[in-house]
Amino acid sequence: MTATLDSGTTRLADPTGSSANALARRRSLVTRIVTHICIVIGVLFSIFPFYWLLVMSTHNTAEIFGYPPKLWFGSDFATNIKNVVQSVALFRSLLNTFLVAASVAILVMFFDSLAAYAFGKYNFPAKNVLFTILLATFLVPGSLSLVPSFVLMSWLGWIGNFAALIVPGAANAFGIFLLRQFAQTSIPDELVESARVDGAGFFRTWWSIAVPMMRGGIAFLGIFTFIASWNDYVWPLIVLVDPKRLTLQVALSTLNSIYRTDYGMVMAGAVISVVPLIGIFIIGSRHFIANIAAGALKG
Amino acid sequence: MAFPRRSFLAGAAGLGALAAAGGLSACGSQVSISNDPKELVLWYWDRSADPKLLAQAAKEIPGTNGYRLRADVIGGTFDTKLRTSLAGNAFIPDLTFINSNVSLYFPNQDLFHDLNSLGAEKYRQLYFDWKWQLGVTPTNRFCFFPLDTGPTGFYYRKDVFDKAKLPSDPDSVGEAIKTWDGYIELGQKLKKNVGSFMEITAGQIFGQYINASAERYFDKAGRPLYMNPTSTIRDAWDVAVKAVKAGVTGNQQNGTDQNAAWTTGKTAGHIEAVWWAQILADTAPDTKGKWRLASQPVRAGNSGGSFVCIPHTSKNPEAAFAFITWLNNPQNQAQAFNNMQLFPSAKDSFTSGTMKSNTGFFGDQDPLQFFLKAAEQVPTSFISTYETQAQYFGTEITNVESGGKDPERAWDDAVNQTNRTLRKRGIDV
Amino acid sequence: MTITNPAVTPATVTQPATTGRKRPNPIKRFWPQYVSIAPFYVLFLVFGLFPLVFSIWLSFNDWDGMGSMNFVGLAQYRFLITDPRFWNAVGNTFIIWFISTIPMLFLALVIAFLLHQNIRFKGFYRVAFFLPNVTSMVAMAIVFGSVFSDSFGVINSALQALGAAQIPWLSSPWGIKVTIACMVIWRWTGYNSIIYLAGLQAISTELYESARVDGANGWNIFSRITVPMLRPVILFTVITSTIGGLSLFTEPQVLLGDSGGPGEAGMTIVLYQYNQAFTQFDFGYGSAIAWALFIIAVIFAIINWRLVSEREVGGQKVFKVRRQRKEVAE
Repeated sequence: MTATLDSGTTRLADPTGSSANALARRRSLVTRIVTHICIVIGVLFSIFPFYWLLVMSTHNTAEIFGYPPKLWFGSDFATNIKNVVQSVALFRSLLNTFLVAASVAILVMFFDSLAAYAFGKYNFPAKNVLFTILLATFLVPGSLSLVPSFVLMSWLGWIGNFAALIVPGAANAFGIFLLRQFAQTSIPDELVESARVDGAGFFRTWWSIAVPMMRGGIAFLGIFTFIASWNDYVWPLIVLVDPKRLTLQVALSTLNSIYRTDYGMVMAGAVISVVPLIGIFIIGSRHFIANIAAGALKG
Repeated sequence: MAFPRRSFLAGAAGLGALAAAGGLSACGSQVSISNDPKELVLWYWDRSADPKLLAQAAKEIPGTNGYRLRADVIGGTFDTKLRTSLAGNAFIPDLTFINSNVSLYFPNQDLFHDLNSLGAEKYRQLYFDWKWQLGVTPTNRFCFFPLDTGPTGFYYRKDVFDKAKLPSDPDSVGEAIKTWDGYIELGQKLKKNVGSFMEITAGQIFGQYINASAERYFDKAGRPLYMNPTSTIRDAWDVAVKAVKAGVTGNQQNGTDQNAAWTTGKTAGHIEAVWWAQILADTAPDTKGKWRLASQPVRAGNSGGSFVCIPHTSKNPEAAFAFITWLNNPQNQAQAFNNMQLFPSAKDSFTSGTMKSNTGFFGDQDPLQFFLKAAEQVPTSFISTYETQAQYFGTEITNVESGGKDPERAWDDAVNQTNRTLRKRGIDV
Repeated sequence: MTITNPAVTPATVTQPATTGRKRPNPIKRFWPQYVSIAPFYVLFLVFGLFPLVFSIWLSFNDWDGMGSMNFVGLAQYRFLITDPRFWNAVGNTFIIWFISTIPMLFLALVIAFLLHQNIRFKGFYRVAFFLPNVTSMVAMAIVFGSVFSDSFGVINSALQALGAAQIPWLSSPWGIKVTIACMVIWRWTGYNSIIYLAGLQAISTELYESARVDGANGWNIFSRITVPMLRPVILFTVITSTIGGLSLFTEPQVLLGDSGGPGEAGMTIVLYQYNQAFTQFDFGYGSAIAWALFIIAVIFAIINWRLVSEREVGGQKVFKVRRQRKEVAE
């Protein structure tokens, strides 16, 4: 039994409802213009630093720190990229990072959605206690655990091994908490109940009802877990020792020297590092943004 | 979106592998950083060594029997990675560079070989004595071999000084600022005539004063010296406060302001080490030819510079030491200067005649000769490991300059905070 | 551990909360749930417990990160309680949290609603709002430094050109806090608005349809259906933003370095912890600070949960405020 997959248009109720008189249409137009303006202002603020990062990657160090600051593109992009590629094993570290980040994201989506569904839609003994413990681990301080975690990895023989980057985070409190909230928002109890009556067990219900209905949350979690793993720097720095098996941020950090750094190169590296993330976001966000049938419910 | 069955099974397999790994945790694991018995691993950071020399050592380290070097570049947070490995006693390199914060490692000096037991003494006369002494721990173990150095001088904008109708050739400027009072007077004239500053922050003056002094915060026994009214620290503080009151410092506390100040000439001077010339050339190439170097007040100091050492787990300390002495022989240090602008610590590098001067940025002035003279003046001093606990002096002088805090109160706060922190770490003060 | 095919053994399948719990063997009945939540706890036991216990033990010791540990009992905590720098950091953290999290969540909600409508270029806007969260630290440091610098920053240069007084963004206590708050808002608004957007998308349209059939107008639908359905997600963002605000570290470090700027006006609790552990090499004290933060965070999280969680009367009150602001925005 499959649940009806709700991917239809969901819209904020439009004050004009479905009436078609001219006044209502004009009000709707004004609303849309105001909406657009507000969004555009927000977008400009959001984009501006990233735009500046792009601009900086097309300049050399002198122009980056020059005064007044340069806000238009320069001509050094190709040089900077070439320097980055020559200084670090870019392609290999991109591949490594992609593998690590994708592995973590998939494991997290899997384990967290299972646990969230259990916590969100079922009552079992000690549920609240267990969930509170889970939340508590959220608050536990992280950065001080470098040395004991390093020792632990050393005992396991995982130093230099990507398993040290993938396994510890394969099921995390943040994701379980997030998806539990999504489970509560988007999975109606009736659906679960009717599935149970139809004889479907927990796992089957999870697979065929919960996962599709929590799709938005799961996709979000997958994307941002990927991003977090992609951008992780300190832990991979500590744990990876073979210069041929590095992740991207660690490889790019070798461009930073103590005395003198080529900032054009560093910025180009930052741009290279961000572009795949934008791609992942665009691909993944299709899952939590339903397709809007154009004009279907407009007044 | 469909989850393939495979990921389901992958999850189960993952759990199983986890359980197995947990059970095997007590088993022997790889703790050596390199499996190759003839390979020595070096950790360094970008531009801290000449790549050509490293490439040569990668084939064979001269003076050893077939040992090769594998040099790994470690990025910015070098200390964190090194300290974590040392603390975890695993994957420690056979050799490592250490930056000027070498005194940080003095309390744990047992983790490094005493190079004297490997025959370091006979190389001693090759290097500046003050640099050699910086690598000697309070218990007189010599653990940190000299790499490059950072003798300091007063960089200034000749064109701005000209516009301000001040003496602008290096010798006259050096004469005018022979004392700190003279420095401040010149700064006041600079400010009055063209509105430019002598230095970006009072903190810089404070720090460089100390870098140029024989006495610093603590003596070799770890006793604090800054509470004596005639101590270097107190003098440095007074000079910095005087500079703030005279208005000769620019209060440019962050990178953007500082760079813009130097580029536009709003701040026309900076006391810093030889390596700053490279940074200046990178960030403000349009000012080429406008800067000159003059000797700073009283005498030159040292700021920065790195060391190399051999951790106790090194595969072959003798081979490692052979690499160190080879890398740092006068010819190779001269070559490193030519290629990487690493200012040598070996005296004979300068007389070998192979070092190429880099004129042009300083007009017709030769920075090499200037900084060689500076290097010969640097006093021998002792940098204590407790100086990390004395950072409050730096923050308090910034509060005086930036927040208008009363200097006497700021001084008392700095002393009290430092003492409190020291007492907490177990030092009786 | 095997995964039973539910179709084969329907009798032993788990039952949802509506039926009463049988006393014998609740674990056996609910075994799928326990198996589902088990991975997290197993991973935590293996990878999280040892470091956690270690850091608790560390807070009772004096350790420089490499040498030997000296047991000092409660000395670190006693020092903490009388440490003015710690309490300064606590004050800073709360003030910054207050002036950044509340506007940020509100903005995120507004943006999510705006994006939820049927407008063009949605895809582009979504990417635009998501970008701040992935822009690198180095770039952010330079950009925000260039914008907010006291003497040569973009804002102050513009103010100077207009004849107005320059604002000490990075050197006065309030300037620093406002700048950090701006950076937090810039960085996290898009992120939270995407969470809200995903939540909005997850609300079934059937609810809207049936409400409209029943004659409800836009406002009623919004206040009686949308917002209450979104409540669990709002709760999530409030809790995670609060925890994020209490553990604020990246933004002040990027802007001001490891000491929190002049007067330590930008020193947050986690920055102080980092400062003590990684620049002062006092790991014992760093641990004590971290655990003090944990206690503060627990208290705060409990307060937050009570304020926002499902309560009929209280819930209406909370959202009334938001609704009024929403009205103004439209």
